[in-house]
Amino acid sequence: MSGTVHTAKSQIRGTVPHQYHLVDPSFLPLIGAASAMLVAAGIIFAAHFSNYIVLIIGVLSAVTTMFFWWTSVVHEGAAPGVHTTITRIGMRYGMALFITSEVMFFVSFFWAYFNYFFFPSHMGVAYKAVWPPQGITTIDPFAIPLFNTMVLLLSGTTITWAHHALLENDKKNLVLGLAVTVLLGITFLCGQGYEYTHSPFLFYHGGIFPSVFFIATGFHGFHVVVGTAFLIVCLVRAMKNQFSPQQHFGFEAAAWYWHFVDVVWLFLFVCIYYFGRSAIVAG
Amino acid sequence: MRFSGWRVSLGALVLLAFGMPHLAFADGYVIAPKPWEMWLPQPGSPMEARIDHFMAFVLWIMAGVVGFVALLLAYVIVRFNAKRNKVPSTVTHNVVVEVLWTVIPAVILLVVAWPSINLIRYEADYQKPYMIVKVTGHQWYWEYDYKSVKGLDFTSYMIPDDKLQPGQIRRLSVDHPMVVPAGEKIEFEITSADVLHGFYLPSLGVQRYAIPGQIVHSWTLLTKPGTYYGECNQICGINHDAMPIEIQALPMDQYQAWVKKAQAEYADNTPNRTPAVVRPALVQLAQATR
Amino acid sequence: MSSTVIHDHGAHDSHAAHQPSFARRWLMSTNHKDIGTLYITAAVVAGIVGGGLSMLMRAQLMYPNNTIVSNGQEWNAIVTAHGLIMIFWLVMPALIGGFGNWFVPMMIGAPDMAFPRLNNMSFWFLVMGFIFVILGLVVGQGSGVGWTLYPPLTDSTYSPGVSTDFTLFSLHLAGISSLLGAINFIATILNMRAPGMTMHKMPLFVWAILVTAFLLLLAIPVLAGAVTMLIMDRNFGTSFFEPGGGGDPVLFQHLFWFFGHPEVYIMILPAFGIISHVVSTFSKKPIFGYFGMVYAMVAIGFLGFIVWAHHMFVSGISVDSRIYFEVATLVIAVPTGVKVFSWIATMWGGSIEFKTPMLFAVGFIFLFVVGGATGIVLANAGLDQELHNDYFLIAHFHYVLSLGAVFAIFAGFYYWIGKMSGHQYPEFWGKLHFWTTFVGVNLTFFPMHFLGLAGMPRRYPDYPDAFAGWNYVSSMGAFLSGISTLVFFYVMYRVFTSKVVLADNYWGEGATTLEWVVPSPAPHHTFEDVPVIR
Ligand code: HEA
Ligand code: HEA
Ligand code: CUA
Ligand SMILES: [Cu+2]
Repeated sequence: MSGTVHTAKSQIRGTVPHQYHLVDPSFLPLIGAASAMLVAAGIIFAAHFSNYIVLIIGVLSAVTTMFFWWTSVVHEGAAPGVHTTITRIGMRYGMALFITSEVMFFVSFFWAYFNYFFFPSHMGVAYKAVWPPQGITTIDPFAIPLFNTMVLLLSGTTITWAHHALLENDKKNLVLGLAVTVLLGITFLCGQGYEYTHSPFLFYHGGIFPSVFFIATGFHGFHVVVGTAFLIVCLVRAMKNQFSPQQHFGFEAAAWYWHFVDVVWLFLFVCIYYFGRSAIVAG
Repeated sequence: MRFSGWRVSLGALVLLAFGMPHLAFADGYVIAPKPWEMWLPQPGSPMEARIDHFMAFVLWIMAGVVGFVALLLAYVIVRFNAKRNKVPSTVTHNVVVEVLWTVIPAVILLVVAWPSINLIRYEADYQKPYMIVKVTGHQWYWEYDYKSVKGLDFTSYMIPDDKLQPGQIRRLSVDHPMVVPAGEKIEFEITSADVLHGFYLPSLGVQRYAIPGQIVHSWTLLTKPGTYYGECNQICGINHDAMPIEIQALPMDQYQAWVKKAQAEYADNTPNRTPAVVRPALVQLAQATR
Repeated sequence: MSSTVIHDHGAHDSHAAHQPSFARRWLMSTNHKDIGTLYITAAVVAGIVGGGLSMLMRAQLMYPNNTIVSNGQEWNAIVTAHGLIMIFWLVMPALIGGFGNWFVPMMIGAPDMAFPRLNNMSFWFLVMGFIFVILGLVVGQGSGVGWTLYPPLTDSTYSPGVSTDFTLFSLHLAGISSLLGAINFIATILNMRAPGMTMHKMPLFVWAILVTAFLLLLAIPVLAGAVTMLIMDRNFGTSFFEPGGGGDPVLFQHLFWFFGHPEVYIMILPAFGIISHVVSTFSKKPIFGYFGMVYAMVAIGFLGFIVWAHHMFVSGISVDSRIYFEVATLVIAVPTGVKVFSWIATMWGGSIEFKTPMLFAVGFIFLFVVGGATGIVLANAGLDQELHNDYFLIAHFHYVLSLGAVFAIFAGFYYWIGKMSGHQYPEFWGKLHFWTTFVGVNLTFFPMHFLGLAGMPRRYPDYPDAFAGWNYVSSMGAFLSGISTLVFFYVMYRVFTSKVVLADNYWGEGATTLEWVVPSPAPHHTFEDVPVIR
């Protein structure tokens, strides 16, 4: 394009066989998209008509699709010469980009929070311009939230432990590290569940504070669920010897995802729990 | 700086062809949209006069930019078509022109931005008004609350098409126009009782959203006594196109007389005001669960 | 180099042997070209629906006090669906999913996209979204909230019923589609370039798609967040944007436009890419100022993220914000100007042939500059106070969209249809299509500037009688562009019934990118062996 080359063909010097993975035709994408549509329709039906059947069908078929999809990816990965080095690099790009988009998703929720945190007057003339809003008792950041912070930080180290073990082909420590990480993830979720059920403010019709609090932490919690499930899959695969020190992209992706979830939590802890706490702190 | 010559003559022609509609107010000075209008409304306020002036400035510059690009394209089309120019050149770089076409647009933009910033500041200066009118948008009418006049708070509905009186303008005339003194600075405190509305007065150069729970400020000063029109300019539901704004400016003495009359007359027109809080239940719930 | 270098299936004969079944080819596809074809088909369908709605709108606006549309709610629902369908189901699928899928892998010398199954799923998500947006239009009262979805009108109090939920979820589905597509394009472009195809040798269309994909990657999730919060407000008792619970409607506007402004560049950057190829091909000259072109796109993409509140000049934002957002917006004219002038410089000294794609490209350049110039007018916050949400704005964005992006789609269509289908379009009918479209859309949208200056607000099914004149002219223009679309369908009919066989590079020496070294139509697997670039 830069002025030196003048015909299409003269640019080509020869050819080499390609190294990419061209997958076979599959019904899964169509079914997956249709299940997502069912989930969306299901949420609408649930909200408007208290009809949960569509939602249940949608979620089940979405989960089933994911199961078969990823199972076939795992099988392809096990087949020789399919997941070449360059294909695996492509998958890394994919995961990194996916996480980037997730970061932007969180940006929108943090933006909502900061919109009120930094500019409490945006709550409107009917409210006193203070944050947290008058009448809101917040959660003590140094109770469960701090504990959960420690849990997640610890889990970040245990996954690294597992990773090193994997690189050294030490299956025992790999499985152990993963199992501990999964347990820590579950611990975190239990803590979060306790906190939610005992929270001093209500989600439903509770006004702006619970809204921004629950969406940010809840969306994070959802990511912990997904991350934990991802780690459990890795744990099973580790026990089945499906990872090698050379080829273990599934594990790496899970680890990246887990670290991302971890970092988001730190921001939540500092910005929402700590800086957003009210003067009088409840237990 | 307005497109005076050809615009006016074209407008005159068109007016001749279509008759002279809407100028039924025998003595009133009315600024309403005119058929085949091609430019801003006649300025009813100094703010609109400035906008008009600056708009002409910017639009002429932009017309210059477009014209320049059009000329270049025309030249290229005529001069370098395959018939006239058989052998294409291979030039792909020329630092001088590349720098020029980066720097010159930047300079043009500076020329535009500077006066523009002054205009923004001017438009935002609602301080020290003669009086404040609190404007509340409702689905689908306006409410005018004269903050400095006790008990003067009334609603303003569009006259439906089948109730129009001679002289009234379809889709613009209202039952109770906002009445203000001419020549005085009026501050608007704009808000809404339900969804977003747009408080839009093209001939005065005023436009702000009416946002529930918030107050947005703007101001105007009507130079001459007369009638001015505006519209709701933010989608607000089924009757979005049926909540126009009519403002009448009166000389101060007539305005004062109107206030007296209006206070009596509108006493029971004071709206059954929906509070700005849309779902008060939310707040109570929030507090109940403390 | 002879064409045997490329692994040439001979298109027709080899395929007859193992012709995939209809379902395998179109429902289960993992082939970038077939998926591209699906996208283009979907875009044409959406163009018919969205264009049909616009004909209905213009019929209603032809006279004041017209009753084709029965009430304001119906009107709002139609306008909303028109805006959303045109943006999310016509322009984006045609430019990114359609031409992007077809030509990005070919231009970088790759056998397919990085994630072929994901690619297919992106397409099906789009279809599901389309079903939803149509449901949002026809179910119940219809979703009459505008494509900008501003609450509180979007809240359940003011838009009860399921239609608005369908519309909101349609954006989720279309958003997932775009997001997966974006990831796929970035991974493909960064990882699958043929040996020797460095970033700085990449064709401009590939660069355009790369920048666009990054915009999608960073902007779409923010829209998804905003839409999620809206859905929660509607259905699950939160108050993100609801003043009654302390929420802030303006927050939604920030989030929406943080997505929405990059979105307009998402629609125009691929168009820029196509125009660059067409201009260079028909001038028989390489692109002038390649690096300037590349970095102008990168700059536009970056600036696109820091100007969003120029859509909110009348939302009560502070004086300082208005000044900042105005100035930042004005800056975008500079890189855009670099592109415009570089196209002209590419034509300068060329030996230009005015075939249909080139007509559309030149039309694009001129009309885009008109729309860009009115954009500069709007960017002046002091003037926007007069022009916001009136027909001047409608004129602005139809000049950059309906006359910009859509012209580029047609340019790309005529440029590549031979490569995609193996058959050439009829030149006479192509040119007729161009001229009827050109006259039609200008007649439609130029008078809207006058209506806007005179103060006609948008989203009005009925207006004061004084606006009748220009509205009538505009409607006539719209019907002409409607007729021109029929001409386009005739062109398509002729293409698909044509028997003429095309050469590999039917445009000749000016066409220098890799798609021109493979047969027309391009074989199922373009590059079984990837080319090594000098
Ligand atoms: C493809 C889509 C597209 C594109 C490319 C643009 C490009 C631009 N837009 Fe537009 N815009 C929209 C689609 C688009 N817009 C839409 C859909 C809306 C309305 C949304 C809604 O409310 O529904 C909108 C609304 C909109 C607004 C909000 C108005 C309002 O709501 O009141 C503003 C304000 O600043 C604006 C400005 C601009 C500017 C400055 C550019 C610039 O990028 C243009 C730059 C180009 C040029 C300037 C021309 C070429 C340059 C030269 C030849 C160099 C020399 C030029 C100079 C020295 C000036 N646009
Ligand atoms: C890309 C975007 C796009 C396009 C192409 C158009 C095209 C047209 N639009 Fe649209 N319009 C919008 C985007 C677009 N519009 C948006 C975003 C809004 C704002 C919505 C809102 O307020 O919420 C709007 C609003 C809008 C209004 C204002 C309504 C109101 O505020 O009350 C009007 C009024 O006349 C109008 C008219 C038209 C007309 C006559 C066309 C004609 O040009 C139509 C002619 C038809 C075509 C040009 C399509 C032909 C294409 C194909 C058949 C597909 C070909 C495909 C391939 C080759 C792959 N539009
Ligand atoms: Cu009120 Cu539109
Ligand atoms: Cu913008």
